Amino acid sequence: MRTYEVLFILSPQVGEEEAAALITDFKRVADGTGAKLTHEEAWGRRRLAYSIQKFNEGNYHLFVFDSDSSLSELDRRMRNAENVLRHMIVRTDLDHKRAEKLAKRNPKKERIRPAPAFTGSEPAVPEAPVERPAE
Amino acid sequence: MAAPTRRGAPGGGPGGAAGAQQAGKKKFFYRRKRVCKFCVEKIEYIDFKDVKMLQQFIPERGKILPRRISGTCALHQRKLQSAIKRARIAALLPFATD
Repeated sequence: MRTYEVLFILSPQVGEEEAAALITDFKRVADGTGAKLTHEEAWGRRRLAYSIQKFNEGNYHLFVFDSDSSLSELDRRMRNAENVLRHMIVRTDLDHKRAEKLAKRNPKKERIRPAPAFTGSEPAVPEAPVERPAE
Repeated sequence: MAAPTRRGAPGGGPGGAAGAQQAGKKKFFYRRKRVCKFCVEKIEYIDFKDVKMLQQFIPERGKILPRRISGTCALHQRKLQSAIKRARIAALLPFATD
């Protein structure tokens, strides 16, 4: 099973109803190819970092799909849709798996390193200041 | 002729090293210990959608901050780089600003 993140920007000229219709349409297309929608985020209007088709704002929307096949049909649809300023499909499951592995490895290394440093410094630090004020 | 040059070379070696140490003190005086932010905070997956986090590695001009300045480790710099590039395509970050 692969995980895909689909981020796309709708033109600011598109009204709310039209945008909702487009979004449900995209969902249907993805559903038809066997992709399961696991997460959805509407970011709403955002300033673009640079102008796209002379627009300075865009309507961002994010899908996260679980799928066994690629999302080529959705990709094709989005490319052909006029009101989609930009879309990006990123496969993330491999990166997440790698990240998990790395997260498991790291704590072991760090536990070995600080342990001798603490035992060495702890007795030395409290003893010295305690003796001086007593004298 | 060969002997003095040979003496000169090892003599210059320690002398040079001591000079480097003294010069090194001055040079390194300003430098802070740089650590990889991602290793410290244990962020293993760098998300291209997290603009606030990525912006820390984007100086004014819009370029990617080099590793020698940010102190990011090689592994995380590579991931950071691809995340920034993705964010640029999504118009979340600029390609260049002037």
